[in-house]
Amino acid sequence: MSEIYASPLFGIVLCIFSFEIGLWINRKTRSPLANPLLIAIAICIAVLQGFAIPLESFQQGGQIISMFLAPATAALALSIYSQWEVLKKNFLPILAGTLTGSLTSIVSVLVLCKLFGLSDELTASMIPKSVTTPIAMEISKQQGGIVSITVAAVIVTGIIGAVIAPALIKLFRVKNPVEAGIAIGTCSHALGTTKALELGEVQGAMSGIAIGVAGMITVLLTMFL
Amino acid sequence: MKVKLLVQIGIVFGICLLGELIAKLLPFVFPSSVISMILLFLLLLSGLLKVEHIREKGDFLLKNMAFFFIPSGVALIEQMDVLKGKILPLLAICLITTILTFMVSAFTIRLVTAWQKRLSKEEK
Repeated sequence: MSEIYASPLFGIVLCIFSFEIGLWINRKTRSPLANPLLIAIAICIAVLQGFAIPLESFQQGGQIISMFLAPATAALALSIYSQWEVLKKNFLPILAGTLTGSLTSIVSVLVLCKLFGLSDELTASMIPKSVTTPIAMEISKQQGGIVSITVAAVIVTGIIGAVIAPALIKLFRVKNPVEAGIAIGTCSHALGTTKALELGEVQGAMSGIAIGVAGMITVLLTMFL
Repeated sequence: MKVKLLVQIGIVFGICLLGELIAKLLPFVFPSSVISMILLFLLLLSGLLKVEHIREKGDFLLKNMAFFFIPSGVALIEQMDVLKGKILPLLAICLITTILTFMVSAFTIRLVTAWQKRLSKEEK
């Protein structure tokens, strides 16, 4: 058995097929609760624990996959660039909404972590949870957080956002699609954006822009922590 | 102009390498991947780099974005002790902050757009 998992290919192959299973379940159920990334992580963990495979063996391949995170973050520039005209036209609302939203996210995490008596390490892991995963990971690292917990918190937040966004729009009487889109993207990044796209084209585009802008603003804000 | 996939990968990775170098030179700590994102954005905006130059590679990265996080998430395996008894408060924090963030963001945009409308009316 150890011959199989001693190769870096083991981790890569496991990740690819776990993710495909996750995508398949997501397509079948069409529910944001069946998040492909979350399912893939759960399958990998189950396989490692079930066969008593050390995490280090898995990470030989895992590290190769993780190497693509920086280029993937950089590629976000392509999606912001494709929305450049929309961004210019709605510059002020986008900037104001993502700024106050990101600030609210950071401050409310700090206050609630204190209230629940969580450790500094856990608090640092939670601070960037509203922004897109690649940026959140970097912030977590810099704040002394645990990156894997940040990844999980980001996904959970995204799922919550995608599920409750329609209810929040009703609750806060949001009529303007620009407002709905930016608010969704700011509080629940790419996962919320999938919901925003279902609500309409403007909502989707605005939410997509908010991912990048909120990410950048959160990086800047956390520099002062 | 179509660029070979291998060259596209070289361009994107090269920008990331440059981002890492800039991050090391900065007097403060700033995520290198975000610097690379800004670099790429500025290159596109200035026209020095065209979307076509990195289209396939960029699409590959964006479309499979979630896949690249799997190993980072699997590392949760080592955090079970840290998470013990903390799952519920953490979930509560995720829910509450998401609602608050949405609310503040939405109300801010409402104020700003109302203010912009009033300004443009006064101009007329």
